[in-house]
This record gives sequence, structure tokens and C-alpha cells, in this order.
Amino acid sequence: MALSNLKEYVRPDELDVALSLVKERGTSARVIGGGIDLVRSSSPDIETLVDLSHLSLSYVRQTDKGVAIGATTTLTEILEAPALENYLQGVVVEMLHQVGAPPLRNLASMGGTLASAHPWSDVITLFLALGAQVTLYNGVTRMVPLSDLYASRALLSPAIITEALLPAYAKGTAAAFMKFSRTKFDIAILNCACLISTQNGDCKGVRLTAGGTPQLATLLPAAAEVLLGRRLNQTSIGQAAGIARETTLVRDDLRASGNYRRELVYAGVKRCLTCVSRQLSGVSQ
Amino acid sequence: MKIELIVNGKQQELDSAPGETLLHLLRRIGYKGVKKGCESGDCGACAVLLDDRVVNSCLVLAAKADGHRVTTVEGLAGQDKTGELHPVQEAFLEHGAVQCGYCSPGMIIAAVDLLAHNPNPSDQEIKEGISGNLCRCTGYVKQIEAIRIAAEKMRKSADV
Amino acid sequence: MCEQRKQEFTIVGRSERKVDGIALVTGKPKFVADIDLSNMLYVKILHSPYAHARITEINTSRAEALPGVMCVLCSKNTPSTRYTTAGQGYPEPSPYDTRMFDTKVRFVGDRVAAVAAETEEIALQALKEIEVHYEELSPVLSVDAATALEAPIIHDEKDATGIFDPVRNISAKIDINVGDVKQGFAESDSTVETTCETQYAQHTPIEPHVVLSYLDEDGRLVLRTSTQVPFHTRRIVSYVLGIPLHRIRVIKPRIGGAFGTKQEILLEDLAGLVTLRTGRPALIEFTRQEEFVSARTRHPMRIRVKLGAKKNGILHAIEMEALSNTGAYGAHSLTVLSNVGSKTLPIYNKARNVRFSGKAVYTNLPVAGAYRGYGAPQGYYPLEVAMDELAGKLGLDPIELRRRNHIRCGESSPIFEEIGEGREGVAQTINSCELERCLEIGARRIGWAKKRGLRTRNGPWIHGLGMSIHMQGSGIAQVDMGAATIKMNEDGSFNLLVGATDLGTGSDTILGQIAAEVLGVPLSKVIVYSSDTDFTPFDVGAYASSTTYVSGTAVKRAAEEVRGQIVGVAAAMLESGMTNLTIKDEQVISIDGRSVTLAEVCQRAMYQVDQFQIGATESCVQDQSPPPFMSSFAEVAVDTETGVVKIVDYVAVVDCGTVINPKMAQGQIEGALANGIGYALTEVMLFSSTGRVQNATLFDYKILGALDIPPIDITLLDSYEPTGPMGAKSVAEIGINAPIPTIANAIYDAVGVRLTKTPFTPERVLSAIRSHSV
Repeated sequence: MALSNLKEYVRPDELDVALSLVKERGTSARVIGGGIDLVRSSSPDIETLVDLSHLSLSYVRQTDKGVAIGATTTLTEILEAPALENYLQGVVVEMLHQVGAPPLRNLASMGGTLASAHPWSDVITLFLALGAQVTLYNGVTRMVPLSDLYASRALLSPAIITEALLPAYAKGTAAAFMKFSRTKFDIAILNCACLISTQNGDCKGVRLTAGGTPQLATLLPAAAEVLLGRRLNQTSIGQAAGIARETTLVRDDLRASGNYRRELVYAGVKRCLTCVSRQLSGVSQ
Repeated sequence: MKIELIVNGKQQELDSAPGETLLHLLRRIGYKGVKKGCESGDCGACAVLLDDRVVNSCLVLAAKADGHRVTTVEGLAGQDKTGELHPVQEAFLEHGAVQCGYCSPGMIIAAVDLLAHNPNPSDQEIKEGISGNLCRCTGYVKQIEAIRIAAEKMRKSADV
Repeated sequence: MCEQRKQEFTIVGRSERKVDGIALVTGKPKFVADIDLSNMLYVKILHSPYAHARITEINTSRAEALPGVMCVLCSKNTPSTRYTTAGQGYPEPSPYDTRMFDTKVRFVGDRVAAVAAETEEIALQALKEIEVHYEELSPVLSVDAATALEAPIIHDEKDATGIFDPVRNISAKIDINVGDVKQGFAESDSTVETTCETQYAQHTPIEPHVVLSYLDEDGRLVLRTSTQVPFHTRRIVSYVLGIPLHRIRVIKPRIGGAFGTKQEILLEDLAGLVTLRTGRPALIEFTRQEEFVSARTRHPMRIRVKLGAKKNGILHAIEMEALSNTGAYGAHSLTVLSNVGSKTLPIYNKARNVRFSGKAVYTNLPVAGAYRGYGAPQGYYPLEVAMDELAGKLGLDPIELRRRNHIRCGESSPIFEEIGEGREGVAQTINSCELERCLEIGARRIGWAKKRGLRTRNGPWIHGLGMSIHMQGSGIAQVDMGAATIKMNEDGSFNLLVGATDLGTGSDTILGQIAAEVLGVPLSKVIVYSSDTDFTPFDVGAYASSTTYVSGTAVKRAAEEVRGQIVGVAAAMLESGMTNLTIKDEQVISIDGRSVTLAEVCQRAMYQVDQFQIGATESCVQDQSPPPFMSSFAEVAVDTETGVVKIVDYVAVVDCGTVINPKMAQGQIEGALANGIGYALTEVMLFSSTGRVQNATLFDYKILGALDIPPIDITLLDSYEPTGPMGAKSVAEIGINAPIPTIANAIYDAVGVRLTKTPFTPERVLSAIRSHSV
């Protein structure tokens, strides 16, 4: 029995009902998206599961603000969504191809992925770099930067993630993602992402992230800073990667040592930036 | 709790404890083609189609599948009542893709999902399609070949 | 040179479909746990949390009182007989150092107690109610700690037998001398020495160990179990439980992979005892976690190899010294150790001075056992790396160095006679060896001449090529025995009953092909059944690459005998001399064109004239173990910034004699290579400072998936082994010997570093590159 003390499995038709269930039942209740982590956890504390699949939250939509992704949308549905095919040269699709494998991607939901916040999450590493926003519902709806969610997990108690928004970017912006793992069907022992917006070829906005360090992804502000106002070339890229190597907090776990992760931060940031630089020069031509 | 599943086209009303996994339930009611290899989503031996997508049944609560269609390897052959093997099953047999056969049901299911959504996959796409299904006997070479050939065959029969 | 004896075959040599294939692809209930028995009990095992401890007290009363608990077993109420879990020929060359439940635990995961209950949940609940008091002992967590002075003694029990030196934690020891290596090295113009270390690795069959036991209508114990060795299982369970062998029946249904780990009796004794005590069916399934912790592993080893050669590149002296970690028990400790030398050293038979020595020591870590390759992969690693070094030192191409030294047809090696399975071996002359062609074809297919030594750069990636050569055996000479029974049915079909144990390899199919070939019928007319100790004749089981060669010969003999009987009956029917008759297309045809069908022959024999059952049982023990040979080549790309090793291309050329079923033979090699590549690059069991396995999941023990497999190019050479059935040798293991040294040598070609410790993780490779360039 996966969840031995589970007593009720509810599939409300309204968001308010879902929220009040979560509020009433307190810590014994969990919201279930794909359910992968819940089943794997075999937690005896869980008595109620609130399934959001009847709330019409499975969608990927192009809006004026960007691409909106409903909370119960599976990773496969995101991967196959036409709206993301060309979003930042398909960086989200490319990342998702590297997440787990089809039998997992068909279960895992966007909301569950963001809520579970696995430190190795490829989605979170990239979404943070992309400046994703999340919509939370706790009786009222509000949108916060994804990074706020991890700065304060209190935002989720109690609240339900209903949507993520990947902002629209103007021309001259590019992003890249890089994952290192032991085999291809594996979690990252380190992942990196970057988003660069340029003006006249100079970096205007830079966001670099590294995850699986083995902590959850964080921004690498010092490395980003060094690129501002500069062109992406071997020198600037090498400098940024070097700073990332020195400043990223890394440590050992059974999958890799901290020192090795440091080298991966260097290689990952360098390769992400090189990839972005290539994309940007392609655009300007 | 009572749940309703349509397993291999057959509607069934079943009793299930709320914490029971779909893998456990399916094996309990006789679908032994669904194999248990790790119970943590790492091997793919228990893969089934939930509606029309491959999932690890060890990670799906039976309750979550309530009201949905489930297809196991037992439901692939002879759905047209002829008893004929599904082209993927046929190709697995013909091209030496089966050794011990314990991972075969899950891998065949994954391939059926792949070909339903991508009738003309590249080798890389085939590999990705079965990347969640571990096999320790074969080295995957023959499975990849079998899926490629099944795809060709299915495209041809779709053209007719 | 040996002559090539070509034979024309009809069924042999064709990629026939697996005889059990349709059932497998349609998910029929063919495996152990796929049948439901009413009243079945679920058995769960309490494992030791300590690596080394004495159980001072164990109280099971609370567990027993739990509703639904039917039986609790521990050292207090189970037989104390010492035995070995190793399913080997009898008497087993492994020490009797194991008890069903001991009063001492020797690794984290060792058996402490077991509960049989109405449901799995109750059984698990009851495990928590068992009170155990341990007196912790200092754990021995490495081979160095095991061999240190005054190391804690792991097997201090008085009743164990067959341990080489329990006080020094030495399970087994070997020392073989041919000529004089000391003098040999002194006479050599050039010497190299290397020490390589291999890790704890696991078989990870996708189906974990599982057994279902029950009493039949006559009260006999039936064990339906996932085993490679049904007959050894019957013998060992009979011995351990102290019940007559004839009261036990072992059924081997389909097996979900094994690779050696199911050559052990790990659960059958326990399930059997539960059933005998309760009278009820009992199911034991290892979880994946238990499979990692409590099943078997490959022996980790540290092996030193020294080579001495003359100026002309001919090897003059070889010294190999192995230190093997057998873990907490000595299953296969001596025989795996022996094979480190016996399956490797004969390949370089030019050396006149050879020493092979080693010991297998106990530690408080998981138990090692049989694993595909059986010591040979560990031995080939330092041997083939040393050969690569020697080639460099002599300024010879590595292929040329092998060419000058490898064994050839008509030649022998003293090692064959010196090292056997826990005893002296058997002298043999090689009757088939296509190594020269293996080298030539492999070199061509990988592009050796064009690409090696170039260190082609592509960004941070540098390319390199490596190679190695290998042999294995085909069964154990004068030890392994296989038998086959064939009986004819009146529709002209045949039952082929074999004790040989198809564990997913396809042996039922190839044995069926051999029978069909002799009997002149299509494979569909041969109903193959394996294995059931009540119905199938004895066979040692599926290990040591014995099935095709040993069991296959038994099948061929039985088929020939049956064929003779058929011809006899047909001769009477056709009023013809027996020599004028041939069997073809399910008919016996006389020289003048008259014929009778096989169905008619059998109908006559069964119902009409001089009635008898057309059928035969034949056995086979071989006087030799002809090695399959292979060459292995890889092109790798090494990422100098991250240490990632990507295999760009893999080429293997294999001589396994006549290929009975090409697709299945390729499948064996592909599977062994994939397993070996994982062993080389990613697979490793990690331990905490207290000896606990830290990555006992497929989430963190990384075996290769479809996306990790490089292009694999396999050539099966046309070859003929005169002593084999239809000219065949065996092929199941050899492939796994190759990836480690081949990849190690390719990495050296790319970046100039010698990796002497597996697996070659990116972290390890990067650190080697960094310390090399500093």
C-alpha cells in the first residue's frame, strides 16, 4: 500500500472547495497533481488527497504577457504545446526532453513540479532564469515571482498554485539550459540556465541559475553582473563562468562532490552563455 | 472506495483502498502482464496506458485513475477480435527484442504511446520514447530496431 | 590451423522466433508471482541494521501475537545446518559458512528473522514488533581492514567448514606457478606493472528474486522459483531443511533475468520452511531495495598484473595477483577467484613463466556471488590495460602485440590444466579460434588505422580509440552435466524436456532448434519445456556459459537417438534398409522416393505394431571447455572540462563457433556489452561509514537506459568448434569482459591518462586529467 493511511481522495469541481478542504484538513491533506512524489513518499501522515484535475487547469496558452501554463498540465502536454515550440528558440521544450522519461512526464504536472521543489529540478532551474511568475490562490488570486515562492514557502500554506507564466521577451533575448547527470534517465547532478537580453549587442538583462548543487536552483548574481553592458565573447563568458565557479554554493552528496560540482558550474555556465551568444548572433544577422 | 475503470475496453467497478496503487490493483484483478520491478517509477516494468499516455502504474493511485481508460499489454493484441498481435508486439518477436520478457510489456506499451503520437520517429526519438523502461538483458539495440520497423509497418497500413 | 568444417543446416543458423515469445509479448502469467494461490501467506524478512554484531537476545512473542501472523522464524526455531547459498556442482567448492538464521549478523541486510502473515502489511507491521538485542562488533569494511593484523574475525563460528583461514578472514586462496616468473622477468627485455581496482556492482535483473512455495495434493513441497539452478536448489533446500530430496519439487517458470544472482539459494529455504510449518502457500518477493542490499553482487577486486616481454614483443612472464572481496559469506569465493586467472591467462599462451595467486577475503559488506563473466571481467581489466602499456613501451601497435601473443588453434595453455573450478583443471587443446580474424575485422570496422592516436579535438571533447581481446569458456570441463529427454507424439511433434534453465537467454529456443535440426521438423513441432525437477532430466543449470555447449550436446544426442528409433520404425514400414532412409520435412524418405510421415511412424509405434514410446534421454559431460573469443574496439570522446566519457562507437567481433540463432547470439553480446559499459562508467554501490548501502535504488544505482547506449556493431564470425553441437560454443558471458579495458585504453589514447579504478565516473576522469596535466 503506497499511502497506508489515506482515507479520502477528493476531486472537487471548484477551486474554492479544493482550498477549503486543504484548509480544513491541515497537514493531513495534500494537493495532488501527478502524485509521483506523494506515492513515492509513502507518507503515513497523508489522509486526504485533493485532486485538481476537474478544475480545468490543464492548458498552455499564448497571452499578451507570455505563455500561461495551468497547474495540472503535464510535462508532456507542455512539451508538446505549440505555444512553446518557438518560445526562446524552444528552450523549454529542450529542457523538458531531458526531464525523467515519458512515463514520468505523462504524470508529473507543472504545479506539482513547482510545489515539490526538488533541488535537482530542471524545470525550476530554467523557470527561475526565465523569470517565471506563479499564480497562487488562497481565496484571492495573486501573482508572484517564482523566486518568491522558494524564498518563503509560507506563501503556499495554505494556497494552491493555479498557473505559471513564462514572460514574453522581445527580440534580442535568448536563453539556454544545460544538464549534467550520470545517465540520461537521471536527475541532474547539476543544471544551469541563463537568460540574456541585449541591446545593440550588449547584455542588458542577465539571469543565470544553477540547481542541483545539490540545493535547489538559485540565481548567480555576481556572475550575471559581470556581463552587464558587455558583449558576449570568449573573455566575458570565461569571466562569468569563472565567477560562477567561485561563488556558487556547492556541497557533496552521494551523487557528486562539491568540488566536482564547482567544475560543472563553470562548464555549464560557459556552455549556456556560448549557446546564447550563438543564438543572438544568429538573430542579428 | 468504489472506482470505475475501463481496462482494455472493459468497464469495471472495483473496490480499492484509497492508498492502493494502480499497479497493485491491476495485478490483483488479474492483469499479470503489468510487472513489478521497483515500485518507485525507476524501471518502467509496470507501464500501462492511462487514457492514451504511458505512465508507471506503480506511481498512480488507483483512485486517480477512477473514470479513466487503462490499457495493459494484455489489451493490445486482437482488439479487432482477430487475436492478431499489435505491430509492436509482432516486431518485438520478429526482431529478437525480447529476451527474458519481464520488461517487454512496459516497453511495448511505451512504444505504442510513442507511435500513436509520433508515427515516424527518429532513432533518437525512439530511444527517448523507451528511456524510462530499463532492460538488463538486451542493450536496447533490438528494441529500437523493432520499434522502427513497427512504425514503418503501421504507417504503411495507415496509408492503405 | 584448424580445419573449417562447414555443414549445411536448415533450422540451426536461423533467427527463429523465441518459442516462448508470444506469451511474453502478450503478458501471459509466465513468471513466479503471476499465479494466485488461495490462502497464500506473505513473507517479509527482518534484516540486520548492523554490519557486524552478535544477536544476544531475540523476542518474537509480540510479533507472533499480532492477528494475522502465522509464523515467525529466527535462529531459535530454524535448522542450524551450515551450508553455502552457491548453487554449484556437488560437493560445492564454496565454504559452508551460512546458516538460515545465525546468532551473528555479518552485513547490513543479513537475515535476522522472518514473518509470514495473511497480508504484506501485517507481515511488515510484525517485523517492527520483533525485539532484537545486538552486541555490536567492530565492522570490517574493506579488504585492507580484513587483512590487517588483529582484524576482527568475521567467521568465528566453530561449525563452518571449507573456509581457507577463518582467523585471517581468508575465505579462499589460490597460488599457481608455471615456470619461474622471477627468472622470467629477469630474462625479459621490457616489463610493465599495473594494479586495477573494481567496484561493488550489482546484477539488477528487472525481476527481483521471488519464490512461491506450496504443498501439492500429496503433501510434497513445491517451490516455484526464479532460479538458474533448479536441481541445486532442490538439493540445497533438502539439505538445509533436513527433508528428503524426493519430497521437494522445484519448478522454474519464466525468469525475469538473472545474470548469476539467481545461481544462489536465497529465499527458497525460507519459503519452504514457512509452507512446511503452516501447511500454506508462501510468497517471498524481494523489493528492489532488498535486491540491492541482500541479494548478491560482483566481487570487487584489486588485481596487480606484471608483464615481461622479449624485444620481439613475445610475452615471457606474466604475474597476476588478485585480492577479492567476497563480502560477508564465501559464496563462489574460490571459483570466481580461480576464473580471474583461468579465463584470462590462457589467451596469452606464449608466456612460459606464469604465476597466478590470490585470495578472497571476508568483509562485513554485502555478499558477492556469481555474476556474468565470473571473475574474468575483473582479470581482463589489468591484463588488457597492461598489454596496452606494454605495446606503448615496445613501440608496437596494441593490435600487433596481441597478434604476436594470442593463443591459436591447435595450441594449448598450461593454465587450462592448472586452474579448474576449485580444483585442478583439465588440459585442452584449442580446436577453434578465430582471434586473428576478430582483430583484423574489428580494426577495420572501427577505423583503427585512420583514427587512433590522433587525439582529434572537437571543442572540449577529445577522441581516442582503445581495444582489447577476450575469451571465456563453454561450461566447466568434466564438471557441468546436462541431460535432455525427447519423446515423440503421434502427430509427429516432440516434447523436449530439459533441465537447462532458460532465464531469458533464449536457450529453450536454441535447444529446440538443435533438436528440430536433427529430427527434420520445423521448430514449431518441438515443444520445449524447462525446467521442473519432477519432469525434466538433471542439468546443473544455466551458468558458466554451459547451456549451448553442454546441454546443447545432450539435446543433440537425444535427438539422434530418437531419430534412429524413427528410422527403425520407418524401415519396417517401408520395408527398406535403415541406411537408405533420410528424414526431411517431417517425412522419412527412402532412396527410391517412397515415404511415410513422422505422424504415421509414431502412430504405428504407439498403437499398431511392436508398440513402444519413441523417445530418449541423453546426457553430456564435456572433457573440455572451448573458449569463445572476441575482439573489442571503442572510440570514445572525453570531455576535458567535465570528465564525461562518451562512447562514440563500439565494435565487437565474436567467434562463438556455429551461431545457432544469430539474433539471439547478437542479443547476448549486446546485452553483455551494455551491462559492461554500465559497469565501466556508471554503476557502483556506495556505502556509509557503517557499511550500509546508500544507493539501494534504481534511482541512484545507475544502469544504462536506451539513451545511453552507443552504436554497437557486432560481427559474428563463421567458425566451427568440432566438439560442440553443430559446431557451436557458448556466448552468454564473454561480452561483459570487454568494455572496462577497452574504454580505459581508449581514454588513454584520448587524454593520456590510465584509469585504474572503476567506474570511470566523470568526476574520476576529470580528476585524473587534472592531476596528469599538472
